[in-house]
This record gives sequence, structure tokens and C-alpha cells, in this order.
Amino acid sequence: MSTALKSRLAAAGSALRERDVDGTTLLLAACFVPMLAFFVVVWVIPIVYALGMSLFASPVRNPEFVGLGNYAALLGDGAFWGFLWNSVVYAVATTGLSLVIGLGLALVINQRIRGGDALRTLMIFPYLLPTLVVIFMWKFILDPNIGILNQFLVDAGLIDKPIAFFSTLEFAMPAVVVTSVWKFASFAFFILLARLQAIDPDLYERARVEGATTWQAFRDITFPHLRGAILIILLVRGIWMFNKFDIIYLSTRGGPLQQTTTLPIRVYQLAFSEVNFGMATALAGVMFFLLAGVAVVYFRAFAPEKEVA
Amino acid sequence: MATSAGRGLVSHDTQKRLQRIAVYLTALLISVFTIIPVYVMVVIAIQSPATTFAGGRVNLLPTEPSLRNFLVLLGSTDTVRYFVNSLVVTLGSTVLSTTIAVAAGYGLTRFDFTGKSLAARAVLFSYMFSPIVLAIPLYVVFSTLGLLNSHFALTLALTAISAPFCIWLMWQYFQTVPIALEESAWVRGASRWRTVRDVVLPVARPGYISAAIFAFAVAWNDFTMARVVMSRDEMYTITVGASLFLDRVSIGWGETMAVSLLISIPPFLIALFLQRYLLQGFSVGGLE
Repeated sequence: MSTALKSRLAAAGSALRERDVDGTTLLLAACFVPMLAFFVVVWVIPIVYALGMSLFASPVRNPEFVGLGNYAALLGDGAFWGFLWNSVVYAVATTGLSLVIGLGLALVINQRIRGGDALRTLMIFPYLLPTLVVIFMWKFILDPNIGILNQFLVDAGLIDKPIAFFSTLEFAMPAVVVTSVWKFASFAFFILLARLQAIDPDLYERARVEGATTWQAFRDITFPHLRGAILIILLVRGIWMFNKFDIIYLSTRGGPLQQTTTLPIRVYQLAFSEVNFGMATALAGVMFFLLAGVAVVYFRAFAPEKEVA
Repeated sequence: MATSAGRGLVSHDTQKRLQRIAVYLTALLISVFTIIPVYVMVVIAIQSPATTFAGGRVNLLPTEPSLRNFLVLLGSTDTVRYFVNSLVVTLGSTVLSTTIAVAAGYGLTRFDFTGKSLAARAVLFSYMFSPIVLAIPLYVVFSTLGLLNSHFALTLALTAISAPFCIWLMWQYFQTVPIALEESAWVRGASRWRTVRDVVLPVARPGYISAAIFAFAVAWNDFTMARVVMSRDEMYTITVGASLFLDRVSIGWGETMAVSLLISIPPFLIALFLQRYLLQGFSVGGLE
């Protein structure tokens, strides 16, 4: 918003506030009270409360203050680093593949190919279909007994006997990654397509007139326009995938042999299978601080708040 | 520069043609990758298991459509109740989230105050936040207050995930709405409230439809929050209820795909009729 506009608005606002004949104060309250109340109730109180709990051993039954004991136990356990590693592998693989597929398809559809609109509509499905439905589809496709992929691979002579993808050590993580990429590639696709369509076509026209090749046009026009969006996707999508719970829980429960147990799965296990809320809230606390650390870097590097404030 | 195109190993025309082929091939591969799972779901849902698995192989060309799977769902599961639960919390959180977002978006755009960028950072931070990391604290609080297994608690939890992006979306949206419209209403003597009702809300319509769609999608898609907040079978949403179907001996792939097809109806309608609002939302970030 321009400064002139702002001061004009502020003047209008304060003039009204002085008289307050038509309830500007009330309007101010109506705008901000719901949001503030909401943030306090569902964000601040639960998080502070849970961080408090993480300082107690078994806080539900007989709270005994242990300070940072839960955190020390958590970080001192070798298994934690394995789960962290699984989270990183999963986040990097799914984000990278989603970006590649989303970018490829966005570039393709931006060429205004025949059937492009239909393809764009098609891509909405993976994004909007609930995770559970996506899991059912892929569990069926990858099923060892009746799955069509196994049927196809056996028929084609590529494998001797069917593979139980979701429950085999070396295939479980790849199977979860493929399932996730199927769902989340559209996210990158839609964001990149929106950016591509905002590029002034005259730029390409001028490049063409000057004899630039397609590659040169991509390098000098398309890519610079997409760079910001690509970084945002890597960052935000990466964070979300690192923290993804439902898709892994529904496909493997973190198995086989904790091969796909990421930190979100571990939090859930600690809280609801082992009913150890001290450790569960401590792990949630660790994940909270990891996220906060990434957010600080993000705000420093991109200043995304400049878009609005 | 003008001659560089003809200097390569292949002629310009061949190059263009190859590029064209590559473009269509990419489109084809991705379409097939996207369509196959959806197709498989639909076919298995609409034919009886006897037809699907006749001859020991999966038969994917629908020859005998049947409602058998849907009838089994209605007859021997609580599918209907699960759907009602899902609808209640989804509509509740969509309305709540959108209302908070419209009010906050308007206020954040139109009123001046210090700490605005701090507010923006808080919204963005909660936008990036992890549902499961929030679910544990919410569980603890709801459990202390005796609110587990209530529509109210789940509605709040779902709103917690969707509201940050909706606020961000409306905040960006109101910035594109020129203040001149409101000013001319004020000049003509309309109160700020009337201006909001008669000028601001109609103009903001595409923005809040977009926000509502994202809020709806988040709630309808949700598994994490419902799994954590609801532990009694009669309170399950459709995603939690159906996720347990495969564990039952009496339910097979036919019924599982049939319930999947039913869950997919709202997303399908959004894709067909409200697409442009969804795309508008993606231009400021998208969700989850």
C-alpha cells in the first residue's frame, strides 16, 4: 500500500475514531478479536502447556519435574537420529521429485498444448483427494496378491514373484515416496503455473525476434521468474513433507522395522502407543524448535512479510 | 544471433518437432500416472468383487456395473454416520475459518498499527506449522478440559490448520481491492459498518470463496486431527472410520473403493465448478 494511501486512510480512521459515531472501534474489535482469540486458544495456550508438560516425567499420572531430562533422554537415544534421518530422506525425495514433475508439467501446459485445460483440471484431483483415498488406491496397485503393478511386472518377466512393496525393507520408503509424489506434485505444478502465466508474453516475443533459442529464452526469462517460487516450494513443501504424518501412518505405520518411521510417526507412537506424554511433548518440542529455526532463516532470506505489511 | 539457430547439428525444423514431441510425451506420461489410480478406484467401486476378481486376475474393464459395494457399505457399516460427522466438522470449520480470515484480512489491510510485520510473521509461521506437532498439545488441552470426542473440539482443531492460510489469502486479497470504493461510500455518508456490508463484502467475494474452498479441502482431507481428537467409533469422521475398513474381514477392496469414491465427490465437484477460485488461491501459496 502506498504511503499516501496509508496516511489518507489513517486520517480517515482517526477522524472517525474521534467522533466514533459509526462504531469504528467496534469494527476494529470485530476485525481483530476473533483472530486474536483464536490464536490464543488453539495455538499459544496448547503449545505453552505442552512445552510445560515436556519438563515432567509421565505428566499425566504423577508429574515429577525432570527439567530438560526428557530432551536429554530423547537426543541421547541413537534411534532418534535414525528417525530424523528418515524424515530428511523422505522430505528431500518427495519435495525434489514433486518439484521436477510439477515444473515439467507446468512448462508443458504453459505451451498451450491441445488438451492442456483438461490436464490442468485432472491435476486438481491428486491435490484435493483425501490422503486416505490416495493410500487406498496405491495400496491396491502395489498389493502383492492382487495388485496390478505386480501383475504387470510378473507378466513382463521383470520379476519372478510379486513384491509386497509397503512391507519390504528396501521398497517401503520408495513406495511411500511414490504415493506422496503422486499426491503432492500438483502443489508445485499449480504454484509454478500461476507464476508462468504471470510472465509478460512480450518478453518471449522480443527474445524470438532477437533470435534467442528456446533454451536461452528459458534461461534468461522463464527461470529468473520462477526462481523465487521454486525456492518457496523447496522450503515450504520441504517443511510440510518433513512433518508429514497421515500419508506414512496410513501406508506403513512407520514399518517395516521402523524403516519409514519419521519424527511425526514417532511423536504419535510415543503419545498414543506408549502413552508417554513427557517424551511425546518433548519430541513435539524438538520439532517445534526445528521449525522455528527454519522459519527464522526463511524470514531473514525472503522477508515474505513484505508482501503484506 | 540471427544465424545461430541454423548452425546446430540438427535443423531448426527438426529441433522444433523434437521439442513438440517431448512436450506431448511429458504430458502423456504425467496424465497416465495421474489417471490410472483414479480409474482403478472407480472401476473397482462400481463392479461387484465377483466380477473384479473373476478368474484370479483383476478385471479392469467394467462390463457389469453394480451398486453392490455401496449397498454393503450402507447395510453393514456406519458409513452414513461417519459422513455426517465429517460434514458437521468440515462445514463448521469452513465457516469459522473463513469468517476469521475475512475479518482479519480486512482489519490487517485497512488499519494502521505497529507490529504489522510481526503479525505477518506469526501468520506465516502458523501456516508452515505441522498438524501433528499441533495435534499433541491440542489433545493434551482438550483432554484436560474433557472436550475429546466432540464436534466442537475437532472443529477448532481443523480451523487451527486452515485459518492461517485463509488469513494470509484474505490479507493479500484485500490489498488488491482499491480503497477508493470505500472512500466514495464514506463521502456519501455511509458508516464504516455499512460500507463493509454493502461495498467491501461483495467486492471480496472471489477472495472468500477461495479461502472457503481451501478451508473445506483441509477439513475434508483431514485424518491427523480426527484420529487424535476422536477415539469413540460413533464420533469418527469418514476418513478415520474408513481407514479401519481394511482391517475388517467382512470388508474387501470393492467396499473400500466404493467409500473412496463417495469421499471423492466433494473434491470432484470443486474441480469441476470452482476451479478458478482454487487457482487463485495458488497464486498466493496454496495449502498443505
